[in-house]
Amino acid sequence: MCLGVPLRLIETKGETGTAEMGGIKMRVNLSFVENPKPGDYAIVHAGFAITIMDERSAEETMDVIRRCIDMGDEGREK
Amino acid sequence: MGEKIVIQPVTRIEGHAKITIQLNDAGNVENSWVNVIELRGFEKFCIGKPVEELPRIVTSICGVCPWSHHLASAKACDAVFGVEIPSAGKKLRELCNSIAYTEEHILHFYFLAGSDFVIGPDADYSIRNVIGIARKMPDVAKRVVRCRWLGAQMLEIVSGKSIHPVTAVPGGFSKPLRKDEVERLKPMAREVLDLAQFTMDYAKKNIFPQYLNVVKTLGVIQTGFLATVKNDGALELYNGILRMMTPDGKYEDFTYDRYTDYIAEHVEPWSYLKFPYMKKAGGFSMDLNNPVGIYRTNTLARINVCDKISTPLAQIELEEFRKNFGRPAQLTLLYHWARLIELLHNAERAVELLNGPEITSIDIRKLVVPRAARGVGCVEAPRGTLIHDYETDSNGIVTNVNLIVGTTHNNAPINMSVKKAAMQVIKDGEYDEGILNRIEMAIRAYDPCMSCATHDIDGTLPVKINIVDKKMNVIGTLKNF
Repeated sequence: MCLGVPLRLIETKGETGTAEMGGIKMRVNLSFVENPKPGDYAIVHAGFAITIMDERSAEETMDVIRRCIDMGDEGREK
Repeated sequence: MGEKIVIQPVTRIEGHAKITIQLNDAGNVENSWVNVIELRGFEKFCIGKPVEELPRIVTSICGVCPWSHHLASAKACDAVFGVEIPSAGKKLRELCNSIAYTEEHILHFYFLAGSDFVIGPDADYSIRNVIGIARKMPDVAKRVVRCRWLGAQMLEIVSGKSIHPVTAVPGGFSKPLRKDEVERLKPMAREVLDLAQFTMDYAKKNIFPQYLNVVKTLGVIQTGFLATVKNDGALELYNGILRMMTPDGKYEDFTYDRYTDYIAEHVEPWSYLKFPYMKKAGGFSMDLNNPVGIYRTNTLARINVCDKISTPLAQIELEEFRKNFGRPAQLTLLYHWARLIELLHNAERAVELLNGPEITSIDIRKLVVPRAARGVGCVEAPRGTLIHDYETDSNGIVTNVNLIVGTTHNNAPINMSVKKAAMQVIKDGEYDEGILNRIEMAIRAYDPCMSCATHDIDGTLPVKINIVDKKMNVIGTLKNF
């Protein structure tokens, strides 16, 4: 299963911007979202921000992903 | 522990296709391995939860094709509860699926794969990207962006949310569609259909003929195909039966719950991702000259296994496609052509559903009662057949979960197409950075899940190739990121 990991926008310049998660930064295209601003969280698909979400939703998503990864790793260790 | 939690998703964001190509003493390709990234642990995470929560939870981690997982999960819940949902509820689910497909296929064709063709597969990376397309076809680029935006707006009108949907529930759909909403949706759906028609016409006139030689040679392999059809054999993406076609075009149909009778899983020591194969083939081999049990899913599979398409414009395109390439068509890059036929079908189907009398019905949901049962839900996700298989106890608590996602089905064929492409571009130890383009194209045709999270802004699928000798010593490394 692929992941829709939310990234936090730290800079926007017209139709492009920079987004970050865990210290890793990547350039994103913002053409598909309305009024993106620094501090917003975005699901990024193939370099495009495809939706903006609030911090609470982003945290919930990351929480599920983290727990899945932990459980996957537990399985591997066995 | 904390450090591990933070870093691992990030390494997946920054991940790339890891490919190893082994050369023999003469400098020609002996073997190759492609590692596809996958999140493990989701199945385990679901155990112990009320099953009705799964359609909502699954979309929170797959934000890229959330509707496919949302619907497959809701269908698995329907099966667990033993409920046949109302016809209007099915139509609302299918409408969302069709809209989501048009969004996905438009993005893939223009901004992921299209750059291989619109700009040219041998063009420099600095122009072979979204920006290159915007410069070459500025009006089309604007329409593409608008139609993606329209897709998101339409999903919001139908379901309240375009991403992380919650409206498909066990037993049906939770939000009826009002007449005024349907009237707002109709011109939007029509505009998407116009772009779908334009795209097919444009590609047939200006793109595919120009690159037919590449299409006919790059990464071509012979395989079987798996996809969903309706009971009458027509192309189906939301609900039907599965059809497994062997390379000679013969096929068997079966219901979702019997998938384990037809699909087995092979394990390779070098890959965490399993290799599903046709159980009835009696074995598994990725030998290019004598493959055993290999099948493919995703667009080309769906277009190959169906007997017909229910919408008129897509049916015309299917007939033309078949006249040109036969059935089953095996050329790997035809995934792109097949994708455009599906784009047209979904755009037509959305218009059709919005014009149907049932779409504003309020009879869209049945009540469900927990029971101990197994339920299999399946949809055709843009990236291939998506299977959710759940078991519950008498209180409706999940006791077992198994998922097979589109990219997993295509694990073996992706490996084979990459090997074939590598054999074509590496001769007598001679290779250059041009092989990156060709191998990236061979992978991208399958639109694997890793392409969602790992693309850069310019549409490039990050590829790292290690060239190794017979003793696995690295003798060269190429990467495009």
